[in-house]
Amino acid sequence: MDRDKAKHTIWQHPWGYPESVAIVIGIVIVGFLLQLTIGSFNFYFLTSPVNLIIVSIIVLLCSLSTFFFKNKFVQWFSGVSFSVTLILTLLALCIIMGLTPQNPQLTPHETHNVFIRLGFDQMTHSWAFILVYFATVLSLGSLIARRLRVFNIRDYGFYMNHLGLWVVFVATGFGYADMERYIMHVSEGSTEWRVYDHEGNVKELPIAIQLNDFDMEEYPPKLTVINRQTGEPQPVGKADYYQIDTKSRDGILFGWNIHLEEYIHQAVRSSDSTYKEVPMPGATPAARIIATNKKTGEQKSGWVCGGNQAQLYMTLPIEENFTIVMTQTEPKRFISDVVVYTPDGTTAEALIEVNKPLQIGSWSVYQYGYDNAAGRLSSYSSFELVYDPWKNGVYLGFLLIALGTVAMIWNGKAIRKKYEQKNKLKQN
Amino acid sequence: MIDWNNFLWFALPASACWLTAGSLIYSKKSKLKALSHIIMLAGIAIFSAFIIGFWISSERPPMRTMGETRLWYSFFLALVGYIAFLRWKYAWLLSFSSVVAVVFVMINILKPEIHSKNLMPALQSPWFVPHVVSYILSYAMLGAATIASIIQLRIIGKGKNSDKAIFELTDNLVYVGFGFLVLGMLMGAVWAKEAWGHYWEWDPKETWAFITTLGYLAYIHIRLQHKKHERLALWLLPLSFILLLITWIGVNYLPSAQGSVHVY
Repeated sequence: MDRDKAKHTIWQHPWGYPESVAIVIGIVIVGFLLQLTIGSFNFYFLTSPVNLIIVSIIVLLCSLSTFFFKNKFVQWFSGVSFSVTLILTLLALCIIMGLTPQNPQLTPHETHNVFIRLGFDQMTHSWAFILVYFATVLSLGSLIARRLRVFNIRDYGFYMNHLGLWVVFVATGFGYADMERYIMHVSEGSTEWRVYDHEGNVKELPIAIQLNDFDMEEYPPKLTVINRQTGEPQPVGKADYYQIDTKSRDGILFGWNIHLEEYIHQAVRSSDSTYKEVPMPGATPAARIIATNKKTGEQKSGWVCGGNQAQLYMTLPIEENFTIVMTQTEPKRFISDVVVYTPDGTTAEALIEVNKPLQIGSWSVYQYGYDNAAGRLSSYSSFELVYDPWKNGVYLGFLLIALGTVAMIWNGKAIRKKYEQKNKLKQN
Repeated sequence: MIDWNNFLWFALPASACWLTAGSLIYSKKSKLKALSHIIMLAGIAIFSAFIIGFWISSERPPMRTMGETRLWYSFFLALVGYIAFLRWKYAWLLSFSSVVAVVFVMINILKPEIHSKNLMPALQSPWFVPHVVSYILSYAMLGAATIASIIQLRIIGKGKNSDKAIFELTDNLVYVGFGFLVLGMLMGAVWAKEAWGHYWEWDPKETWAFITTLGYLAYIHIRLQHKKHERLALWLLPLSFILLLITWIGVNYLPSAQGSVHVY
């Protein structure tokens, strides 16, 4: 055994780690040279049909492994040493990415900063990253193809994990260029089909959105004590807040015990400076409280209100320089009631909110924003429209990986090993 | 009404139980050994009572702030440590997970990082709870695997052959931990797609999660060739755990993480 080892020099089959490391370093150097000479990789080169052609070629190349599964090069290319080397190289590149602030804009290359010239500030667009990624897709693909030749149903976990990962890598990497994203602002009561791309250019889309209504639900706000001159919440740097909650009516703010007497979520101010409940768009939260100084026992009581575009705020002064105020409300959910029209004549009515997009063909419509200053009174709603024809492919890959992973959790390694030993016995 | 103000009343008895169980397990008397099982479970029960009460009174899953995720880490460390102990019979596994669980309880007592109970719309997703639970479970498993790898490295360091049983345990812990790591990642990706239209944006937390996954992926693949490169594989585990800690805690302090959706 040892004599064999001594005889075995680099580049002599079977290849192992030395050859893998040398080749992957070579790939990375080629990537750096390409980066220095022609700049970042342009993903839009991969727009359909170019990506479809390349993926077909990859599938063809990988399936060669099915036929040449005993070839020593194929065994190395799809084997453990090459895959571990690729994984650790990706890991190293990603550590650089994780430490370097990533710059989403494409920068000109007249810089002397070697980090930027090598593409480290846009790692996922750098040639080194792309080439290692590409090599991983090829290696993984030929591994799957090679193992399909010696198919064994007991390796179901292996097939699902590896095939799923391959599908996800291909669909996200090569599908990236086919994705389109736009922002659309729609006023209440009107219909819109013009959108903005990420550079702010206006474009007309084949789909149109009619906004019937925009509504928003808010959480009860908080109370705090501010300095009337500076507006700073007290104590400075470590401010006290009382979260209004009708189930927990007592709190402590800056040395004052606060007791919540009454809370109205949708309140309107009356002429005598009290509040009553009126559910309407301009309503605002209001609270009637009693504040008691913990040391002196001095009491103050009255209404506090944060106000909005339609109503003034109201505070409760407790000391010469300090007053109790209500914070701005935080949104609980915002909902757009829409009708979406597509060119083939189908229409879809939907309530779109965060985490609940509307799916229509390869388009997804996301709740994106609203007039933040106006809050509930916003007269428009913004949507993000995403065109992603590869979505189903990615989800298929996710499903395969998830199933494979469950198999992994269930079986652990001990059981796998038993199968492997049995397989070896069979093969021998 | 159960909130952080009551934490001490649950945390101290639970910690006392775990530490007692972690010590009694070494006892030679079988009665004391049996007692340690009951005490361990009592600690877990007391701690879960706090989590359940806290969940109910804050009207949302307690998984949003750093302090809240540490709560789950303590809980799962104790639970997973106990289950792994039942399966593999290593007393050190129980004491180790008890001690680390108590350390995280102490951090929560001294630095609770209390935040408001309002959940912003993007976090209101059915994926939120399984995403976080899956990660925390995985972190607990991989933490245990790290300790096992250090013990194995010391055995090899003394010039002995590696302990087969410890390697088996380590491999299984990594397989299960890695499985939950990947599930957490997939659920995060589906959630991101539903919320923002991207699966993956190379947000710093995502980048570091990917790095961590690659570390464990390399370990799994190296270990496929059983006898080869044992040392390299073993060193990868503490190293990957450091990467995991950067993902979990360190990212918040990185200059590259300004504006990340995962900084809280």
